[in-house]
Amino acid sequence: MTNILELNHIIKNYPDGQQVNEVLKDISFHVQRGEFAAIVGPSGAGKSTLLTIMGALLTPSSGTVSLNGQDISKLSKKQQTSVRLNNIGFIFQNSDLIPYLKISEQLQFVQKISQKPAIDANELLTKLGLKHRLNSYPNVLSGGEKQRVAIARAFINQPDLILADEPTASLDSKRGREVVQIIQETVHQENKAAVMVTHDERILDLVDSIWQIEDGQLKKVR
Amino acid sequence: MYLTFKDLRHDKLKFSALGLIIFLIVFLVLFITGLANGLANDSGSAIKETSAQSFVLQKGSQARLNRSELSATDWNKFKNKYHGSAAKLSVNQATIQKTNNASKKTDITYFMIDANSFLSPKLTSGQKLTNKDNNQVVVSDKLKSSGYKIGSSIKDSASGQTFKIAGFTDNKAYSHTPVIYLNQKQAQKVLPMKTGFNAIALKKNLNSSSKYQVINKKTLINAIPGYSAEQGSLYLMVGFLYIISLFVLAVFFYIINLQKLNDFGTLKALGTDTSYLVKHVLSEMGILAIVAILVSFLITYLIELKMPASMPFSLSLPVLLGTGGLFLLITLISAILSLIKVVKVDPITAIGGNN
Ligand SMILES: Nc1ncnc2c1ncn2[C@@H]1O[C@H](COP(=O)(O)OP(=O)(O)OP(=O)(O)O)[C@@H](O)[C@H]1O
Ligand SMILES: [Mg+2]
Repeated sequence: MTNILELNHIIKNYPDGQQVNEVLKDISFHVQRGEFAAIVGPSGAGKSTLLTIMGALLTPSSGTVSLNGQDISKLSKKQQTSVRLNNIGFIFQNSDLIPYLKISEQLQFVQKISQKPAIDANELLTKLGLKHRLNSYPNVLSGGEKQRVAIARAFINQPDLILADEPTASLDSKRGREVVQIIQETVHQENKAAVMVTHDERILDLVDSIWQIEDGQLKKVR
Repeated sequence: MYLTFKDLRHDKLKFSALGLIIFLIVFLVLFITGLANGLANDSGSAIKETSAQSFVLQKGSQARLNRSELSATDWNKFKNKYHGSAAKLSVNQATIQKTNNASKKTDITYFMIDANSFLSPKLTSGQKLTNKDNNQVVVSDKLKSSGYKIGSSIKDSASGQTFKIAGFTDNKAYSHTPVIYLNQKQAQKVLPMKTGFNAIALKKNLNSSSKYQVINKKTLINAIPGYSAEQGSLYLMVGFLYIISLFVLAVFFYIINLQKLNDFGTLKALGTDTSYLVKHVLSEMGILAIVAILVSFLITYLIELKMPASMPFSLSLPVLLGTGGLFLLITLISAILSLIKVVKVDPITAIGGNN
């Protein structure tokens, strides 16, 4: 099987006063090469928590997370950082561009700190329709443009896995759809795996599989 | 460094303002230090620049030259024991005037010495002091600012005795007055009543004696009237400036970096090592501080050139570099508070849109 990411029996507890708040109860999940998966569920269900566990940002209370066959659930902070840098691309809700880096430098920086062979950052940005913005700072970009830069930044290191937490939340529905379409096309063309958390039902036709999270349980609905 | 230069380039105004603050503080510190050193020289250079190590004074004179009175008997004891390493010294504050202008008087200090002893000053121009019974004396360069030249006549206001300037020695001063060197015979003419002398200067370190007060050079200089009070208050100011700047800079850095905590979270989430970010913050502060320190060196140097001779100011290279180094250290220490914040930022803040 070509599962890029596999979660087995993940449990995540948060201490909540005297009690423990079990946010994720025995969750298993997988996504394959070339697959674009979506996770939906009510607010507070634990979608972001799940995504941070997938992204080596958070250590689960128990269970294993394997990325390309390597268990990343028990790594040190430093090893986690390196996994995030080289194997995972993030797209955040607010795009979170660095305000003092020009658009092309946003990608150059990621290339600079990683050991991966650099691809042409400007070509990637041009492909996403940002040619005229290469030398602009993020503050002059529209929300949709920023999100496209964030997508380019997530792909620049050619990671196998892309993680996106509500990438359309700050966009109107037309822009949001365009952004998800770009993610979908790139995932399919470059044969990557992507997981997107979303509230927006109208874009679910663009994804290959849908998972529903509720009461700490995750089940595949399509 | 990549992030550092981009950040400095992007926020020119903010960083210039911060650099300006560092510059102003460093400049003020340098200026006060220069003034303190200048005043110290102006107060004690005539003693400091001798090769004497210790001074023998009368017992109970409280390290004050003018309170000490030694006699020929005392001198004979030391002369026989130390030969050329001992020298008699008398110090007397007086007022002089130009022979043709009684209204323009200058306060000076007479150093009465044996012209052949090691206390005889090195010259910057003119001729050396001799032990002959003439009126040729050597004076401090400081007198030049009152219009005195080689060959000028000096009239001692009290005794009416006149001398001619034979030579100049460098800026030697005692208690903020220029020094005039007299030999024993000339001294007799100015102070005919004086039979003894004030102190014996020794080139060796003599620790103590039951019959005399033996002090080292530093103690003697500290006891020069006004010296300790001036130096004490100036260095207190400098000390406070260091402490103030530590806190001011710490707060500024903290605020600047606090605004960027979300960016640091994002950078960490993207896979930037914490150590990279620590280096980034330190080099940002370091570059700002170094530029500000270099500019203040330059400005201080320019001001030193333009300082009037009457305003004593002196900064040696070691003091300059020492101050610069200390400041760089203070800047980096004041970044610690910000660094703790940066190290603690959790990359999770980038995800979930909860920022
Ligand atoms: N650091 C934490 N400490 C304690 N509890 C937490 C922490 N982070 C999240 N939680 C709790 O875990 C639960 C799931 O949070 P999470 O952010 O994953 O929800 P979500 O599904 O992403 O919600 P939303 O759709 O509103 O973004 C919430 O009840 C939240 O209060
Ligand atoms: Mg969330």
